[in-house]
Amino acid sequence: MVLAGRSEAFEPLVTPYRGPVLALAYRLTRDREVAREVAQEAFFKAFRSLGRFDVSRPFRNWLFQIAANEARDRLREHVRERAALRDAAGGGPAAVDPEAGHDRRELRAGLMSLLEALSPREREVVVLRDLEELDIRETSRVLGCSAVAVRVHLSKARRKLGDLVRRDFPHLEEGR
Amino acid sequence: MTCRKAHKLMPLAAGDDLSPRRARAFQAHVAACPGCRKELEALRAALGAFRTAAREEGVPDWTEGEWKALMVRATGGSPERRDGEAGSGSRAPWPRWAAASALGALLGLVVLWVLFRVPGSAPERMTAGPGPGLEAAAPKTQDVVSVTMVSQETGLKVVWFFDKTFNYEGVKK
Repeated sequence: MVLAGRSEAFEPLVTPYRGPVLALAYRLTRDREVAREVAQEAFFKAFRSLGRFDVSRPFRNWLFQIAANEARDRLREHVRERAALRDAAGGGPAAVDPEAGHDRRELRAGLMSLLEALSPREREVVVLRDLEELDIRETSRVLGCSAVAVRVHLSKARRKLGDLVRRDFPHLEEGR
Repeated sequence: MTCRKAHKLMPLAAGDDLSPRRARAFQAHVAACPGCRKELEALRAALGAFRTAAREEGVPDWTEGEWKALMVRATGGSPERRDGEAGSGSRAPWPRWAAASALGALLGLVVLWVLFRVPGSAPERMTAGPGPGLEAAAPKTQDVVSVTMVSQETGLKVVWFFDKTFNYEGVKK
């Protein structure tokens, strides 16, 4: 109905995805406020671009594509600002003290901060493939690149994550 | 498969993203190589911990008020108010094939009108023929058409008259 121009049908259409789109935006940007802005813009653009929606594709993945594009644009805008903040903090993004108390929350926060050590493209493929569990083909469609490129970035990203987890959280490996 | 090759494929193998043929070769190697098996298990454990952390991580969510306000702003009234940013995102009132058919029919009618607006129309202007300065003119309503040739060198003027069926009527000087 919304494809036929009925705007009141848009909300029921996107409501099931309001959480997943915001979560994706947050995982890509690692900033709650920016994630909100990204998700809002994604829904605005989704409404305006419904005519371009390919009904043969999952609607969720189409929303993810819009949100990922928006997040990439935002990250590009804030890249200098973030770099400056990291420099001011005096350490790399994955600098977690292994001797610090490892309650679950700290551990989660530490593990998720490893995403910041990845390049934007690596982060996108890891979030979409490993966290959102899209397959390689859908990931490539969402990101607008080839499946080969997705495999290359995924391979690099997983290797980086594996190395960082072993470096910063050696007890996880010992405990397995 | 060598250990070097297995090491290269390890990250994709850890997420079951190898093609079936490569996965078989990789599994065969890992089954026979304790070092690579240990490396694979370590990588899987690390990625597993990362995924678990992501699942348990608190992600932001909308309050009902925020969501309602967002939907009102997103839909922003009637679909006619959608801006042109999305280009083809605006819905056409008709399907494209219908618009194209209508345009084609209109063009066809224009062509037919041009061809048949004067039944049995005679040429109104003739430019063919030898010599410089050839000119032709005929009022639309006349049955007689004249063709005039003026020589730029000698000033000689020759006029031909035709009836509407282009029968030759004579020469006047």
